[in-house]
Amino acid sequence: MTTSSSELQKLAEKFEHAVSQVRDRSGWDALRLEWTGRKQGLLRSLMGRMKEIPAAERRDYGQGVNRLKQAVEKRLAALGEELAEAERRAQQSQRQLDVTLPGRRPEIGSLHPITRVNREIEAIFTEMGYSVADGPEIEDDFHNFEALNFPPGHPAREMQDTLFLENGLLLRTHTSPVQIRTMLAREKPPIRVICPGRVYRNDTDLRHSPMFHQVEGLAVAEGITLGDLKGTLEEFVKRLFSADTGIRLRPSFFPFTEPSAEVDVTCPFCNGRGCPVCSNTGWMEILGSGMVDPRVLEGCGIDPERYSGFAFGLGIDRVAMIKYGIGNIRMLFDNDERMLRQVRI
Amino acid sequence: MLFSRNWIGDYVALPESAQEVADRLTAAGLAVDSVESVDDDALLDIDITTNRPDCMNHFGLARELAVLTGGVVQEPDASYTIAEEHASAAAELVIEDAELCPRYTALIIRGVEVGPSPDWMVKRLEAIGSRSINNVVDITNYVMWETGQPLHAFDLHRLAGTENGAPAQVRVRRAHDGETLKTLDGEVRKLDPSILVIADAEQAIGLGGIMGGYDSEVTESTVDVLLEAAHFDPKCIQKGSKKLGMHTDASHRFERGADPKACLRASRRAAKLIVELAGGEILAGELDDKQLRDDWPHVLELDLEKLNRFGGVELGSDEVTATLKGLGFGLEPLDAEPATRWRVTVPSWRYYDFENPRVADLYEEVLRIHGFDGIVSTLPQIGGDDAPARYEHVRARRVRDHLVACGYAEAIDFAFTDRSSDQALPSLFGDRAPLALRNPLSDRYAVMRRSLLSNLVASARYNQRRGAQVVRLFEVGHVFADDGEGDRLEMETVAWVVGGQLGTPWERQHDIDFYDLKGVLDSLSALLGVELSVRASQVKGLGNGAAAEIRLHSLAASTAAADTAAADSAADSAATESEAEVIGYLGELDSDDGSYPLFVAELALDRLGHADARLAIQAPSKYPAIAADLTLTHAVDVPWSKIAGTIREHAASELREFDLKDRYRGKGVPAGAVNTTVSFVYNSDERSLAQEEVNDAHERLARRLEEAFGYGSEE
Repeated sequence: MTTSSSELQKLAEKFEHAVSQVRDRSGWDALRLEWTGRKQGLLRSLMGRMKEIPAAERRDYGQGVNRLKQAVEKRLAALGEELAEAERRAQQSQRQLDVTLPGRRPEIGSLHPITRVNREIEAIFTEMGYSVADGPEIEDDFHNFEALNFPPGHPAREMQDTLFLENGLLLRTHTSPVQIRTMLAREKPPIRVICPGRVYRNDTDLRHSPMFHQVEGLAVAEGITLGDLKGTLEEFVKRLFSADTGIRLRPSFFPFTEPSAEVDVTCPFCNGRGCPVCSNTGWMEILGSGMVDPRVLEGCGIDPERYSGFAFGLGIDRVAMIKYGIGNIRMLFDNDERMLRQVRI
Repeated sequence: MLFSRNWIGDYVALPESAQEVADRLTAAGLAVDSVESVDDDALLDIDITTNRPDCMNHFGLARELAVLTGGVVQEPDASYTIAEEHASAAAELVIEDAELCPRYTALIIRGVEVGPSPDWMVKRLEAIGSRSINNVVDITNYVMWETGQPLHAFDLHRLAGTENGAPAQVRVRRAHDGETLKTLDGEVRKLDPSILVIADAEQAIGLGGIMGGYDSEVTESTVDVLLEAAHFDPKCIQKGSKKLGMHTDASHRFERGADPKACLRASRRAAKLIVELAGGEILAGELDDKQLRDDWPHVLELDLEKLNRFGGVELGSDEVTATLKGLGFGLEPLDAEPATRWRVTVPSWRYYDFENPRVADLYEEVLRIHGFDGIVSTLPQIGGDDAPARYEHVRARRVRDHLVACGYAEAIDFAFTDRSSDQALPSLFGDRAPLALRNPLSDRYAVMRRSLLSNLVASARYNQRRGAQVVRLFEVGHVFADDGEGDRLEMETVAWVVGGQLGTPWERQHDIDFYDLKGVLDSLSALLGVELSVRASQVKGLGNGAAAEIRLHSLAASTAAADTAAADSAADSAATESEAEVIGYLGELDSDDGSYPLFVAELALDRLGHADARLAIQAPSKYPAIAADLTLTHAVDVPWSKIAGTIREHAASELREFDLKDRYRGKGVPAGAVNTTVSFVYNSDERSLAQEEVNDAHERLARRLEEAFGYGSEE
């Protein structure tokens, strides 16, 4: 081994040692300048010593310096990357996000509780094969009363608290006129429709609003029975409230059904055990129903000897109040966004 | 209506517990709202439906309970001895209008001593809310509450022509025009021929079926009594009591339909009680003029098998027979015992309930007594779906969903409003007048809304007053107007209102303006597949310079995404467009209430036609797109629709899309001018475009826009 090559060997060892001492970017810069600086860098001066080397050794020397140069540059570059990576990591650990800050929520609106409940009801009945019908909110006497077997002047009309227009028309007091319109429009049964919509009564207090919402249902076909009505309503309330909801039919009177029944459901708050909401009865009256009066069928051109049907109706507002725990019906129409926006889609 | 348990118990053996009595009645359709214990009795508050006037008395309820409990009813005692004198010597009856009064009966009792009623009767009457007057009057009330038949006692000697012992003339006739009568309550009533009166030889002495006359009432000085028990036509009483604004215990029963055969049964019972409690003697014979309707009694045929099928029950012949007989129906078997078919005669106290009778009416009677609990649940055996969903229904659902996705909360407002709110905002019915309510709850609800906005803006204000930083509400509903020919116009619209500051600095807040409002319209028209044109206009209730009318441009024929700008520019060039019907408004609400401005819009959904966005999707080009921007400085009064129109007209075919990127006024932009930056995307389906060709095309377009609109370049 020649002197010069052992010198290069020493220099390589010295570089390794120096590298092991570098802790940061400034140390790296100093080392780089010391070794690879253009003017006074060590490698540069090694190259400058070429002419002092005896000619026979010059070739080896030159190759030795080049190897050293390549090794140094490669090592410096690697070291530079290591340092950069370490710095990025150091920086990252400094700017750790506060992940508990609130996210920027997309601005999404809300459906009215009544629409929400109405959609649930529509979904239940469309799954059962019903279609959804609607009609005008301003009605005439024929569709709202006469065709529904309310004779003119009969006290049953007074109970409807009808709001009249000055032109003699009226605000529908129920969505039953839509049933009439549907039966008149159809060529023949079977018919299965529900008729949701706004209805109006001249009545206002904590539980009554002059405008509220009803959904009525109608099924007309050959051989429809009172048992079909009961079974349908049972299925409906189980899907609307819960699988253990039961119903109780109580005979009642509506001019357009015969027989007629008020329908109670087991109180959804106490499951029928009795609580303040249901006045400790365990039941809540939410539906009216019955077998379509043959006079009504006949008036709509449907032969009551051949066909029979059932009809039912319930207050959507009342169901919404039960489901959302709203005590005063008027709150449904205040349209306070603080309340509305709590309704999940 | 209140009833005494013990009183009912006079006619039938009852279960010990009043609650059980209540439960039985409720289960049979006579809903007991409450049971209240009073001393040794219980008061039942029963909600008796309009079809059951026969149960608005204690005996009627006893008849129901007898059937429900398997008991037997006892008719009240109406036996007495009679005087030798015949009633016809004391009074003569004439019914002049048998249609309105099919039956009129009277008994004469002479020599009564009018005084206070015994305690037991006062107690019973007062418990159910009836005031005690004197023994004779109390007995008429008592017997009405016992049997359901309203009665009236006249002082015989206060009838005209009786001074010399001549018989009184009692006539049942229509009132004369302008005739007056002072009724028992002291009011002087003005009558007309639609009202039925009981009259003596000279004048009216009572309103038939409603209230007796003041001058002929029974008082302390009364000696001889004419006891009326009559039957009046329900429609006559409905009209008369409505016209006179009177509602009495008697009219309540007659207008629902009383029992035409109960008259004498009830008056005999009352006469017996009068003789017992007030003395006197009952003259022989009854005065009874009647012309009952030909279609009474109603007769029906009942088939057991059909009944069981209809009700989803399995009742036997015995149960059906026992139920109907117990309720007073006459049964004649039509086949061998045990009968399965009967000819059924409806009892007289149910005539009106069975008007135009149907066999379903009988099914109801049997089933309600049987109880609905026993009905077996089934489901209708109908296959398939009823009908496809209607377009309007699906459309309303999509519009609601879309506004929710846009961040709006759905509101539901009353459909009536006050006149000034209705006047203050534009209506999509043009000049059509509002429909006024005849009997509104108050002036606040005087007319039907012609715009959803009248009440929706009030709801927005409600939120503003409660400190809401931002308001975003929408409603889908009906609006109404007078069609000018006595009928109504009604259509579905959607309206939305927005204002305030959205978000916090953290959420990158922004102040809501007109373009937030319009963005909803733009996206809605895309959703529904319609092209709308929006043109600046003066609109009632909206601020000057910040209001526009919406018109239908055309159904989207080719563009998947409808773009109002396209229609806007076309509207400007085509004069015919301005003739199109206005189907909506939008703009800033004209108001100086100090709060942040509200922006409102309404669009008539029912006038959009059955448009729908095409479902086909255009595949994106597989070649890279080239984007370019362009900033044009132009006068502020150059509308975007013109710039967009020019771009559309002159752009190279490779221009795929363009959109407004920014608008800027301020430093570096001359006063009166504005910088509009537009972003462009160029691409081709066939090849990669070269940057140079795009640059050329883009520069040509830029020059054209500069020439047409550049600030200072016009003129």
